[in-house]
Amino acid sequence: MNNFAIRMEDVYKSYYLSNGEEIPVLKGINLEIKKGEFVAIMGESGGGKTTLLNVIGCLHPLSAGKYFLDDEDIGEVRDDFTLAYIRNKKMGFIFQQFNLFARFSALKNVILPAIYAKTPALEREEKARTLLESVGMEERVNHKPTELSGGQQQRVAICRALINNPEIILADEPTGALDSKSGIEVMDIFTKFKNQGKTVIMVTHTAEVAKYADRIIYLRDGQVLDNNYKLKSTY
Amino acid sequence: MNLEIVKMAFESLTAKKTRTFLSMLGIIIGVATVIAVFAVGKGAQDSVSSQFSNLSANSIIVMPNRGRSFTSSSKLTTADAAKLIAAEHIASSAGAIQGNSSVSYGSVSKNYSVVGADQNFVSISNLVVQSGRGIEEDDISSKSAVALVGSTVVADLFVGGESPIGNSITINGKKLEVVGVLKKLGSRVGMISIDESVIIPSSTAEKSVLGDRGQVIIMTTVDNVSNTNAATTSITAILRAEHKLKVSQEDDFRIMDAGSMISAAQESAQTLTALLTAIAAITLLVSGIGIMNVMFVTVAERTKEIGIAKAIGGKRADILSQFLLESIILSMAGGIIGMIIGQGAIPIITYFNLISMTSSATGPILGFTFSVLVGVFFGFYPAYKASRLDPVDALRSE
Repeated sequence: MNNFAIRMEDVYKSYYLSNGEEIPVLKGINLEIKKGEFVAIMGESGGGKTTLLNVIGCLHPLSAGKYFLDDEDIGEVRDDFTLAYIRNKKMGFIFQQFNLFARFSALKNVILPAIYAKTPALEREEKARTLLESVGMEERVNHKPTELSGGQQQRVAICRALINNPEIILADEPTGALDSKSGIEVMDIFTKFKNQGKTVIMVTHTAEVAKYADRIIYLRDGQVLDNNYKLKSTY
Repeated sequence: MNLEIVKMAFESLTAKKTRTFLSMLGIIIGVATVIAVFAVGKGAQDSVSSQFSNLSANSIIVMPNRGRSFTSSSKLTTADAAKLIAAEHIASSAGAIQGNSSVSYGSVSKNYSVVGADQNFVSISNLVVQSGRGIEEDDISSKSAVALVGSTVVADLFVGGESPIGNSITINGKKLEVVGVLKKLGSRVGMISIDESVIIPSSTAEKSVLGDRGQVIIMTTVDNVSNTNAATTSITAILRAEHKLKVSQEDDFRIMDAGSMISAAQESAQTLTALLTAIAAITLLVSGIGIMNVMFVTVAERTKEIGIAKAIGGKRADILSQFLLESIILSMAGGIIGMIIGQGAIPIITYFNLISMTSSATGPILGFTFSVLVGVFFGFYPAYKASRLDPVDALRSE
């Protein structure tokens, strides 16, 4: 028993074009992320950052290698029920473009993962309201995403990621569509998660955002170039 | 089933009301058509049953050929009825002549069917004398001036609840005493509407009421339905001999057996139902394809939503059930509206006497069941495709 939330050994991931041509994206990833660690994944464009996050988040099956989640090898798991359970209970996703359901209110958007988890109606609503309140959204619970600013939408998305109390938060460029003030607010929330003992894995290309992380993993051409990348002192 | 998923399916449908309504339209028309079809089919069958309800399957009717008057070229007379008793397998035989004539009582006068019948006619035709008596043998032999009246005749002529029995009616200037009233039948015996008829002794009809204007009808019964063909052959032989027809001459009478008439009429009613059902089935099929098309468009439009749902823990089964539910709700709602329209149209159409329709439970049950099946069948493939979408590809779509 060790203290790793995520461990990967020689993970490969390839895409296949319609003509059968193989496009390798991840080419032997080895990494370890401790429980409660706040990790930023940086790297050049096309280096495989988002693909790595999708593999970690069980949205993509890996092509080869071993993937341990809480010391359990889930690299071979293809069963939809188990993968959906992991995405629902163990992880919370936050996207650059928020990815909220436009026709649902902020409250309903936050509740959705709890519906899939079959949480009783009263319990999930109470939980969602508490979460929205904790990010200063108590006045906006019945607003639809189009009636909210980018920063507010991202806070709703963060609440949605937290509703089932996951151990791991996965964020793909969470500040990419936000102004700097909203970006700082979001990063403060992430820091709070880390302090609560949650593991945060965030893809970013911005050093200003990455500096909030405990550690930076730097990817280049589908491989980990540096497992503890240091930012230049200007940041 | 997660109730929230049902609610979400409803919300998705109500979000696009016009599209939802247009998608349902095919189902509405299809189900309303199914109900109308069954009502028309049942109406046709009921009308056949009512037309032949007083004919047993073992009845055989003999009429002059091509409807010509018995004096012109057919030698068929009511007297032939007695001779047909000798035919093989014939259990009973009754003769009648029928024509239309003005019947009056007091100052009221109206045109009715006048039937000159013998003593067996009432029993062979399964008629019931409600009050008074029927035609008796003595009435025939003595050419009595007596009459039996149908229920409509009583209602028309004897206004104010006056009893017709013992009163005299006038037909073609001849006074006849009403001796009996027939029970309301509501249907026909062969071609005769009994409720609107006056039945008098055949001898009286031939001598002084109808004369040569009447058409002869002989009604016989066969001892067993399976002997109908043998009885028909025997009747033909006896009548050809009686009428002294040469081999080269065609029959001057035509024979209709009730069994064949009923089954032919029922067959045509069933054919009509089958034909209309096929049309309704095609309508439902086309509407199902419409629903499938709409569901594919919906899945394409909501591809990103599907990706998000999967990323936050939605299982394939959740996605499948949500889209399938939308399709089922769509077709079920269409089915219910179709049922209301279809059932509502029946009394209106019947009121305006446009076509004979009888409401049946089969139509709505079948229509509704089909609408749900259409939803499941045509909704499954788009829902299945949605559930199998790759979450990352779905998230990338705009």
